[in-house]
Amino acid sequence: MANPSQLGFQDASSPIMEELVEFHDHALMVALAICSLVLYLLALMLTEKLSSNTVDAQEVELIWTILPAIVLILLALPSLQILYMMDEIDEPDLTLKAIGHQWYWTYEYTDFKDLTFDSYMTPTTELPPGHFRLLEVDHRVIIPMESPIRIIVTAGDVLHSWAIPTLGVKTDAIPGRLNQTSFITTRPGIFYGQCSEICGANHSYMPIVVESTPLTHFETWSSLLSS
Amino acid sequence: QSFKLLGFLDVKSVPCARESVLYGSLGSLVVGLGHFLATSRVRRSCDFAVGGFICTMLGYWFYCRYNLAQQRIRRRMLKEGMRNKTLFEGSSLDPERKQTGNERSDS
Repeated sequence: MANPSQLGFQDASSPIMEELVEFHDHALMVALAICSLVLYLLALMLTEKLSSNTVDAQEVELIWTILPAIVLILLALPSLQILYMMDEIDEPDLTLKAIGHQWYWTYEYTDFKDLTFDSYMTPTTELPPGHFRLLEVDHRVIIPMESPIRIIVTAGDVLHSWAIPTLGVKTDAIPGRLNQTSFITTRPGIFYGQCSEICGANHSYMPIVVESTPLTHFETWSSLLSS
Repeated sequence: QSFKLLGFLDVKSVPCARESVLYGSLGSLVVGLGHFLATSRVRRSCDFAVGGFICTMLGYWFYCRYNLAQQRIRRRMLKEGMRNKTLFEGSSLDPERKQTGNERSDS
């Protein structure tokens, strides 16, 4: 989860999020170069004498056409690479369905048996010490770590969005439509997210918690759930 | 603690950012000063200094990020190789076993 007053990304817990963070750093460096140039030009304009004898500006027009084109290419190439990387579906080990309701999530594991449960936010009054306010839920989504997971997101009533920043996942939950995304968690841990599409009074109170565990623990949990 | 250049680029936490900015500053000094010593034109030397800063900074940035990306790929391959070795050691899928088997059949 995010630290208080955090502005930047959370630490990446999936390969896609690592790539997104790298791209963001690259974009910021390009932005720094552009801002330096603009600041210099601004200072130059403020110290230059005004004159109205410019009739021809071929060179500068060439520069301010070619340079932005180069900048766009520098940004577009890695961006498209990541975009196509995000669309790769690599034989998922597990398919999970997330259904958004007002104001909770329902998760279904239907690969082998019909395992379904609802996930409600833990009210602040019932929060155990050391747990995070407005982020904890009664039933977490348990997934095996380092395994490709496919998640199909939909909604039962209004628009919702299933998002986990540290995994680089955000998928809209639209009634009557199935949206698919996939991710791999690179390490075990608990990853928090929140509904990311306004859905009513308790939109801020339907968090998502994914717990990534080794496969043996996942198998134990799923057998307990099914029994 | 972070140190944000122009308020948005955290040079302490972004890999390669600090070196890029430092090399960029050095490049800017070299190019700007060199041009001034050669031509004695202040305004034009400042233009070259800024151009040198941007080109050197971005040049080193791409070089450093390319190396980092290669390192990242190698790290992932190593991690997967180590995991496969642990998983398949001693079994019929052990890649080392297949390799020694091929060497024996060649000899």
